[in-house]
Amino acid sequence: MEHKQDKSAMLGQGVFIFVYLAVLTLIEFGIALTFNSTVLLVAIALVKAALVLYYYMHIYKLNAEHEGEENSYEYKAGTNRIGLWLFLVSDSFVFGGLMVMRINLLGLAHPPLNQTLGLTVTAVLLISSFFMNRGETQLHNGDREGFLRNTMITLILGLGFLLGVVLIEWRTVPAIAEPILHFFGEAEGVEPLKPSSGAAGSAFFMMTGMHAFHVLSGLVLLLIIMKNAKRGLYDEKQYPVEAAAVYWHFVDVVWIFFYPALYLVGTIFK
Amino acid sequence: MLKTKTVGSGLLLLALAGAVGYSIGLGLDWTINGGIKLAGSVPSAFTLLFAVSAFFFGLYGYHGITRGLVWQVMGTFAGALFITLIRWLLVALNPSQFKGLVLFGPFLFSEPAWVFGALCGVISFIFGVGVMDDWMQWVRGLDTPEHHEDKPGWEKYFGVSLDHKVIGIQYTVTALALISIGGTFALIFRTELAHSGFQFLNPDPTKFNVFNQTGPQMYNTLMSLHGIIMIISILLGVSGIINYVVPLLVGAQDMAFPRLNAFAYWVAVPASVLLLMALVLGGFDTGWTGYPPLSSRAPMGMQMFFLGVFTAGWSSILGSLNVIATVLRLRAKGMTAMRMPIFVWAGIATSIIALTATQLIGLSFQLVMFQRLFGMGFFDPTKGGNPVLFQHLFWFYSHPAVYVFVLPGLGVISELLPVFVRKPLFGYRWIAMSSLGIALVGFTVWAHHMFTSGMNEYLRVPFMYSTMLVAVPTGVKFFSWVATIWGGKIETPTPMLFVLGAIVVFLLGGITGPPNAMVALDLHLHDTYWVVGHFHDTIFGGFVFPFFAAIYYWYPKAVGRRMNEFWGKVHFWMMTPSFLVLTLGMMYIGLRGMRRRIADYDPTQGFDNVHLVLTIAGFLIGISVAIFFVNFFVSMKKGELATGNLWNSRSPEWQVPSPMPAHNYEVPFEVVGEPYDYGLEGSKFVEFSANGKRDKHHVVETQTHH
Repeated sequence: MEHKQDKSAMLGQGVFIFVYLAVLTLIEFGIALTFNSTVLLVAIALVKAALVLYYYMHIYKLNAEHEGEENSYEYKAGTNRIGLWLFLVSDSFVFGGLMVMRINLLGLAHPPLNQTLGLTVTAVLLISSFFMNRGETQLHNGDREGFLRNTMITLILGLGFLLGVVLIEWRTVPAIAEPILHFFGEAEGVEPLKPSSGAAGSAFFMMTGMHAFHVLSGLVLLLIIMKNAKRGLYDEKQYPVEAAAVYWHFVDVVWIFFYPALYLVGTIFK
Repeated sequence: MLKTKTVGSGLLLLALAGAVGYSIGLGLDWTINGGIKLAGSVPSAFTLLFAVSAFFFGLYGYHGITRGLVWQVMGTFAGALFITLIRWLLVALNPSQFKGLVLFGPFLFSEPAWVFGALCGVISFIFGVGVMDDWMQWVRGLDTPEHHEDKPGWEKYFGVSLDHKVIGIQYTVTALALISIGGTFALIFRTELAHSGFQFLNPDPTKFNVFNQTGPQMYNTLMSLHGIIMIISILLGVSGIINYVVPLLVGAQDMAFPRLNAFAYWVAVPASVLLLMALVLGGFDTGWTGYPPLSSRAPMGMQMFFLGVFTAGWSSILGSLNVIATVLRLRAKGMTAMRMPIFVWAGIATSIIALTATQLIGLSFQLVMFQRLFGMGFFDPTKGGNPVLFQHLFWFYSHPAVYVFVLPGLGVISELLPVFVRKPLFGYRWIAMSSLGIALVGFTVWAHHMFTSGMNEYLRVPFMYSTMLVAVPTGVKFFSWVATIWGGKIETPTPMLFVLGAIVVFLLGGITGPPNAMVALDLHLHDTYWVVGHFHDTIFGGFVFPFFAAIYYWYPKAVGRRMNEFWGKVHFWMMTPSFLVLTLGMMYIGLRGMRRRIADYDPTQGFDNVHLVLTIAGFLIGISVAIFFVNFFVSMKKGELATGNLWNSRSPEWQVPSPMPAHNYEVPFEVVGEPYDYGLEGSKFVEFSANGKRDKHHVVETQTHH
């Protein structure tokens, strides 16, 4: 009985963390619309990232003891976990470099972008992280169907984010993008941002492009674990699911910093 | 062993395929450009691609590296054709908007087509060589054996092997091949510099036109490629020693992730091919630093250079990830942090830098690449960009990179010195911490390369002080080496000669560093041969000498035979004095105003004689390294047998017979004492017993699927 409570407690924790994240995002948006304090935006982004790192990515598992025999699956999974996190450290230097580039070129100003669309895609990615966590927890609890369902939702939301950025925000196909942007309240006759149109366009396309590439690779990983879960894998040895989930949340963490940097900070870049 | 007949058939195929490739290239050149240039880019590129693939085919058959190279060629052309097709469609469907879009050019394809093609080529190589096979099985939810047994003999070195010792040797041999290519480039332009005026790299395109480049352009390309090829070769050499030695030193049976290890090696091979493609595809004239705005409008070789470095960077990143995970997780019983061999500490320090900072050179090169491809404005002031930003991103890696080069070398010095003076290493803890200290301080010094670049002046002073701070942990190392040698019973076999040479040369490199760090002096010294001399001293002292020492030292462990001692000493006594003449001469003329990176100089400056001496010294170094190569390959067959503890070392790998068996230690060892207590009565470092934590057939690879 106690064990069962523990299970639902884990699922409940995911919900609570998601509510925190959602509220913080709305506060962030509100700050940007009203008194626009960069310090507060940075602080909120740090808090959000810390929540995801701890409760969704389970960074504390790196410090786990009692992993069993050196030859055991647990010990090897622990080694793999270290490898994955080292990779994420390395990868975050790319995004850090992009951030440096953005700050150097644009300073405390952001590219002229559609705020409604920005908030929407951010929400979509955040919700996908919630479902990813839920799916992972359910697999851990032995609920394979729940895992598959939630991972599928994650996948769809991730695809939605990707299309929202690459198709609509980038205006790759104007015939599709323009009506949707119009629906999101875009004024007529706004000069669209292009990669070659100057510092703001360059920074925006490079940052979202690099992030979209990571979203795409995360989607591939999700597809792989879903396919293999359907084949009956991951009853006992669940590390691959954990790895894909951690990578997915990492992509979310990056966006937690990129969203304020691209949409919210300061005035509109001239 | 390699048979003469096999090599012969390889060479024959090389010649045949080269001729075929050359004819195809000439034909294409004629079709597209309506004229034939005997040393044009397209024929040369085809010759190179065909000949190299055919050589390996004759040597090895159609698997492993041959298949990788063939796939790379096919992938490159498929990718390039794909982009060309899309561009053709764009022009055909919407002529008004895409007027003037180039489909073919002097290098056959357009620049975007080549870039995409080169990227496809790299990915094709990876799949072709077979390093993704197991991972693709895992993706499909299938199991693979935990370890693939290698075939005995030389063939395993030309295909994918998961054994860290094989991969270490692959790295080392590739590094040596690249060293000889980069060294040849240096000798070519060194010959040009022997006298003022143009000797053979003629600026007149009717007299010199190779790969669509005139003489001075070719000088720039060779000079730039010398830089980057040597840097890649050093990175591979570093990975070579670390890969071979670190698992042996910590008592692991392999690296933590053997497949990733193989991947990290094999991704460096197509990267090297890309760098050579840069030579034939128009070259580039920026030096290895690739600063925009010059690099944003340099010839197309620039893009191949960017892609090559980016790809090789992944080798470095993934390799160092593996090293850190291995040391964290797979140490032998009893090997606490302060009982790790000093080389392991050096490997960790190096890996921390390579893991993180490498991403930023990759990023900075990507940004220029995209600037060229899509007209983005990162570093273009007319579009609101900032060229100095590139230098910040670039040097954030490229300064710490020199610590990636030298830290393992300094680790080799500290590792070998106690063995040959029969005394404990002085100040073990300080040495271990100084490696980490250099690595960490190294992250804060990058802008000292930019004192003259026009960055904000207030940044100069903090970077001056942080740079001089590096001298402190480096000084700790020197102090320890001198104190270790002091009063020891010094033996001087070849490895020890190279260790002593390294200390002397690195000292010269070290004491010529702080003057560059002083802002006031640097404004004068910047961009002169002084810096060239200083740089070569640090890298030879910090990497090349220790690298040779490591090869002479661990060669018997890998082969079971030792390298010829006489020719080893000839190598040392020929290389060291020539090298000192070379770098001291460079510094001398540098102080008197010789600019670096130039193909010609004013005869009235009076540098002709010194340059002649420098060229002769350069050739002597080349000859000595050639002697080393002959020694290296001949000793595999004919070297004196050395299966025991040749150097009388305490280190665990020497306590078992050479060559090392496939899964390292048959019986695991336990660390019971300090690693470097040479000459202390009754002291013991390791003890072999079945009580160690690993059983005989334990394999370290983690299976993520079941």
